[in-house]
Amino acid sequence: MKLIDWLTRDAPLATRNEITPKLGFLLTVLLAIVWLIPFLWMVVATLRPPSDGINTMAELMPSLKPTLDNVRDAWEIGDFPRYTLNTTIICAGILLVQFVTITLAGFAFARLKFAGKTLIFYLFLMQLMLVPVLLIVPNLSLVAQLGLYDTLTGVMMPFFASAFGTFLMRQAFEAIPTELEDAALIDGASLIQRIRHIYVPLSMPSFSAFAIISVTSHWNDFLWPLMVINSPDKRPLTVGLSVFTKTAEGTQAWGTIAAGTLMVIAPLLVTFLVFQKRFISSFVTSGIK
Amino acid sequence: MLFSRRLALGLAMIGTMAGALAFPAMAEGPTEIDLFFPVPVDGKLARDMGTLIKEFNETHRDIKATAVYTGSYDDTLIKTRAAIKAGKPPSAVIMSANFLLDMQIENELTNLDALIKADGTTKEQFLGQFFPALHGNAVINRSVYGVPFHNSTPLLYINADKAKEAGLDPNKPPQTWAELTDWAKKLTRRDGDKVTQWGIAIPCAYDYCGWMMETLTMSNGGRYYNEEFGGEVYYDTPSMLGALSWWNDLVAKHKVHPPGATPGPAVSTSFISGNAAMMMLSTGSLTYVRDNAKFNYKVAFIPRNVRNAVPIGGASLIVPAGLEADKQKAAWTLIKWMTSPEKSGWWSRATGYFAPNMAAYKTPDMVDFLNKNPDAKTAVEQLDVAKPWFATYKTVPVRKNLEDEVMLVLNGKKQPKEALAAAQKAADETLKPYNAETSLKLP
Repeated sequence: MKLIDWLTRDAPLATRNEITPKLGFLLTVLLAIVWLIPFLWMVVATLRPPSDGINTMAELMPSLKPTLDNVRDAWEIGDFPRYTLNTTIICAGILLVQFVTITLAGFAFARLKFAGKTLIFYLFLMQLMLVPVLLIVPNLSLVAQLGLYDTLTGVMMPFFASAFGTFLMRQAFEAIPTELEDAALIDGASLIQRIRHIYVPLSMPSFSAFAIISVTSHWNDFLWPLMVINSPDKRPLTVGLSVFTKTAEGTQAWGTIAAGTLMVIAPLLVTFLVFQKRFISSFVTSGIK
Repeated sequence: MLFSRRLALGLAMIGTMAGALAFPAMAEGPTEIDLFFPVPVDGKLARDMGTLIKEFNETHRDIKATAVYTGSYDDTLIKTRAAIKAGKPPSAVIMSANFLLDMQIENELTNLDALIKADGTTKEQFLGQFFPALHGNAVINRSVYGVPFHNSTPLLYINADKAKEAGLDPNKPPQTWAELTDWAKKLTRRDGDKVTQWGIAIPCAYDYCGWMMETLTMSNGGRYYNEEFGGEVYYDTPSMLGALSWWNDLVAKHKVHPPGATPGPAVSTSFISGNAAMMMLSTGSLTYVRDNAKFNYKVAFIPRNVRNAVPIGGASLIVPAGLEADKQKAAWTLIKWMTSPEKSGWWSRATGYFAPNMAAYKTPDMVDFLNKNPDAKTAVEQLDVAKPWFATYKTVPVRKNLEDEVMLVLNGKKQPKEALAAAQKAADETLKPYNAETSLKLP
C-alpha cells in the first residue's frame, strides 16, 4: 500500500482515506503501463543491432549490444532536419492563422447580433461531420488554381478556418461575464481592443487546448500533404517517414522504422514533457466555467 | 464551407501573395518532369530510385526528372487522379499494372501508340521486347497504354531445413494442393493446443488479399474476371468457392495456417523467423528473403488443384492524359530508358521483381547474377503459365468488395459460400453504372 500512498500523496485531504480514488490511481497506472509498452518496444527495437536477427524483433528485452546503426540508417534515408522544419512550418503557419480566424469567428458567434446567426453557426458545425478525404479533389483543384500546388502554403490553406476552433472559442467567450466588456466599453475601448484585452487573455486555457489539438492533428496528417507536395525537399515528416514504412509486396526493416518513428515523434514528445503541467491544466480549466 | 467576408478577403490576399512566390518566372532550360513512384520494397530502394533518376538526369541534359514518392499503390492512384483533376498531371507514374483499365475508362491515360510510331517502330516490335504474359495488362482495345516496369508472380517459399527435419524432400516441392496440404500438416508443430510452428502462411490484407484469391482461383481452373470487358467479375463461382474453401480449411479444419487476415510483411517476418515453414508471397520479396534468411530456402511454383496458373503483379509505367507535348516526349524518353534491358535488369536485381524486358536476361550482369542466385529464375519460368492481373471498372472498390468478405471468412465470422455471394452482390452494385453505360445500353 506504500506505493498507492505515494501515488496519491497529491490527492485532496478529504479523499485521502477513501478507497475509490486509490482504485482510480491504480487503474491509471495500469493504463499508463499498457500505453508505454509500444513506446518501450520502439526504443528497444531502435537500439537493437540487425545482427540479432528477426527472431528477437518482437522481444521487449533490450539487446546486450545496443547500436545506433538503425538511427544512422534512418537518418541517411530521410532528410529529417528538413522534414521536421517543413512540418514545423506547416503546423505553426496553420495555428497562427487559425488563432486569428477562430478568435474573430468565435467572437462573432458569441457576442455579435446578426440575422440567421444560429443557422449559420449550425451550418458551420456541420462541416465537422465531413470526412476530410471527401474534400481532397475539390480542395486540390482550388489549391492548384491559386497556384499553390506543391507549396507548403497549399498544404496549410484548407485548415486556416477551423469549425472546431470556432466552436471552442464561442463557448469560451460566452462564459466570460458581459460586465467586463461593458466596463471596457464605458472606458471607450474599441471592438478590437475589447477582444484583445478582455476576451483573449481570459480564454488562454481554451487557446492552448486548441493549439494542442491542432498541432498534433496536422503533425500526424499524411494523405493531404501527400496529395499537395511533389518536391522531396518540401515533404513533411509523415510523408518522409512512410518512404520506408509503406510496402506493397515486400517486407519491413523494423529497426529502421522504429528509429524513424522515434525521430518523428521526438519533437512533440519533448514539447509535451517540457510543458506537461501547462498542457494538463489547460484541458482541466477549459472545461470549467 | 462558409467563410465570413473578412476571412474570404484575408484568404484571397494570402493566396495571391503565396501564388506570387510559388510561380517563379519561366526560364529557358531543361524540360522538367515528375515521376510518381510507390515504394514496393523497403526504404533503401527509395534511395536506389534516387540514384536511377540522378543517372538519367546526368545522361539527358535536356530533361530534368524528379522522382516523387507517392505512398502505396492505392495512395499513388489517389494522388495521380487528384493531380489530374486539379490540372497538374505528373509526367509519368509507376502504376499498379491492374489500374490501367480503370484509368483508361476514365480517360486519364495517354494512348502511347503515336509515341511508338514517332520512334519509327511498330506496336508489335515495341511490345515484343516484353514477356508475352505482360501484354494483357499493358494493351487495352489494341492500343498500348502502359510499359511494364517491374513485375511479379506469386511464389511458394519453403524453409528447406524444416522440410528436411520433417522428412520431406525440398528438391521435390509440392505440386498440387493435396501435396501442399500434406506438407503443411507435416510442417506444423504443436505444443498441446498451442501451435509453435505453422505449416503455411498466405497473406491477406488490402491489395494482397485480392491477388492471392486470384492466384488460388486461377490454379483452381477459374477466371476471376472477364479479361475482355471491365464490367464482370466471377466471385460467386465454383472455382472461387473451391479456392476460398481450401484456404479456409487450412485455417479452420487442418489448423496449419495462422487464423485471421495477415498482412504481407507479417507473413515474411514469420517465415524469416521460422515461425512459418512455408509461405505464398510475391517474388518482389525475394531479395529480402535472400538477405535475411538464416536457413536454406527454396522457391517453387504455386501448386495447382486443376491447372498451373498465376496472375501477373507489379507495376507499369504510364503517361497521364492532359500533358503538354514537350513533357509527354520527355516522359517517353524517361520511360524507354527505365525499361531498357540494362536498367530493368539492375532494378530487378535490387528488388527481386523480375525484369519485364526479355533482353535484360541476356546482359552479362544478369547472367552472372542468375548463376549465383538460381532462385531468381523461378518467377521467370512461371511466366509460361501467367495470365493478366484482374482489372475492371473501379478496380480498387471491386477488389475490396471481395477482400472484405475473404477477411471475414479467415477470421471465422462467415462461411465461404455466403461470403462469396455477398461479395458478388456488392461487386455487381459497384459495376452497375459501367454496365448501364456499356453492356446494358441497347441501341
